[in-house]
Amino acid sequence: MAERIEILVSGYGGQGVVRIGQVLGQAAVNQGLYTSMLISHGTETRGGYVRSQVVISDEFIDSPVVERPDFFCAFSGIAYTMFKGLCGPQSLILHNPEIVSADPELASPHWGITAETAAAEELGDAVFANVIFLGALSSRLPLLSPKHIVEAIRQRLPERFHEKNLQAFEMGRVLA
Amino acid sequence: MKRTFDTGNAAITEAAIRSGCTLFAGYPITPATEIAENMSRRLPQVGGYYLQAEDENAALHICNGGSIGGLKAMTATSGPGFILFADAFGWAVSSEVPVVIVNSQRVGPVSGITGAPGQGEFYLSRYLTHGGNFETIVLAPSSVQEAYRLTVRAFYLAERFRTPVIVLADQMVTDGWETLELPETDAEFLAMGLEVVPRRIHPGPEFYPATDDIDIPPVVLGHNTGAACSDWTPTDRGHDTEDITWQHKHAWRLIHKILNHRDLIDEADQWFLDDAPEVILVAYGTPSRVVQSAVRAARSEGLPVGGIRPISLWPFQDHLFKRRAIYLVVELNWDGQLVREVQRAAADGSQVHFWGRCGELPTSGELLEDIKALLKHEPLVRDGWRTEKW
Repeated sequence: MAERIEILVSGYGGQGVVRIGQVLGQAAVNQGLYTSMLISHGTETRGGYVRSQVVISDEFIDSPVVERPDFFCAFSGIAYTMFKGLCGPQSLILHNPEIVSADPELASPHWGITAETAAAEELGDAVFANVIFLGALSSRLPLLSPKHIVEAIRQRLPERFHEKNLQAFEMGRVLA
Repeated sequence: MKRTFDTGNAAITEAAIRSGCTLFAGYPITPATEIAENMSRRLPQVGGYYLQAEDENAALHICNGGSIGGLKAMTATSGPGFILFADAFGWAVSSEVPVVIVNSQRVGPVSGITGAPGQGEFYLSRYLTHGGNFETIVLAPSSVQEAYRLTVRAFYLAERFRTPVIVLADQMVTDGWETLELPETDAEFLAMGLEVVPRRIHPGPEFYPATDDIDIPPVVLGHNTGAACSDWTPTDRGHDTEDITWQHKHAWRLIHKILNHRDLIDEADQWFLDDAPEVILVAYGTPSRVVQSAVRAARSEGLPVGGIRPISLWPFQDHLFKRRAIYLVVELNWDGQLVREVQRAAADGSQVHFWGRCGELPTSGELLEDIKALLKHEPLVRDGWRTEKW
């Protein structure tokens, strides 16, 4: 039976929702796996609603829809409210408790990471928060090797930010 | 093979370049803008021309003009631009101009919703111009990899049939990112079953013969062949005529050059049909992948379910629906388009049901519930013909 991992990332434009998906997908391809990422978004480049649905598998992916996410990165309260219904006991929800409050009724495990504050304090800009989340996520994702994710960060993120993004990735990894 | 992670927009661009496309004219529109953006970067590298037109009507006319001038041409858009092709598409059909048109369907009508998928142009792609008297070739990819293959195929068919060919994609195919394998050598390209027909030039004088033959070189101006080209009914030598007999001959050619060579066009995926399943799901484009998942899930529970995915949409493949069955047609619209053709083509005694939604794909879980309802001859969990009330 094929291994299939479903990852949902959602927030608003400018938070790096698509970037996280691109890095994960590129890492999967680098590792010889199959991957698909559906993107839904509003008209706005920044500020509008954005969602990435990433599926990683060791065989061709038929449905690219994330139906029962293994991981859900909720970057905004609106995204959390929209998609928490998809999450079951197997879904790990990553969120920043300073921005998104966890629903106590939900059966899914939550992992609160104050990534925006950490990114602002240690890297000088909250924009690196998404890669802190990526680092944390990757520490629970044995299918993808961190080596391939680091390579994908170098391929998919702008060169002038490589150093800070790699630092952010490590900050996320050590949270586990 | 070069193994990459990229979008359908990138796949379509590379397929066009590999097919010898040297002209792109278009007008940016989500979710097809990246095709224009990529072509503006790639075409100068291969000695081609990129032109941003003032609107989509002009864009396709520019492509037609380039093609009549001897270039392979492509344009790409989404629904609100696709509707503006009506006039130029008629020219391409009637003057037998090879040109490739990509439509990434989003939510409509009109501007609708930009960054979400729809399937509202199934019929519009068949009748993209007025007046009737023609057939259309439409291909529908369901993945990034297939967007590459079918774009190459579209250029190939356009040259052989001297006609516009439409690649009817959706937002998830063009904006979506997937594993994409690109051939790096001719051998790899051929091994994918792909072929390129180079642009030929009709020597004249019978530019528009009243025959159903294909592989007649296109009409190209400026080569001392005496070629003529206009939007009027042509005589065989390309002169304008008001003679109804020539019109009849011309219409017969436009229809039968396509209908009599269906073997080169018809393409479909069929899943689990060998044991005469009771329920057959039908879809094209991205929803067909969810259908494939649902059918596999149903089969793993031992349920008698199969699936059909038309890859070429027009001419419509009636022969796919000759089994008596309960058909469930899944589409990204609320009004039901593909389902109407399935209703027409389905074998006597069949039932045809509709499962529609727009802007979001169904889930395989939802489809599985409805498969089980149909097998028990119960009503669908969601009545596909009715949108939910708000």
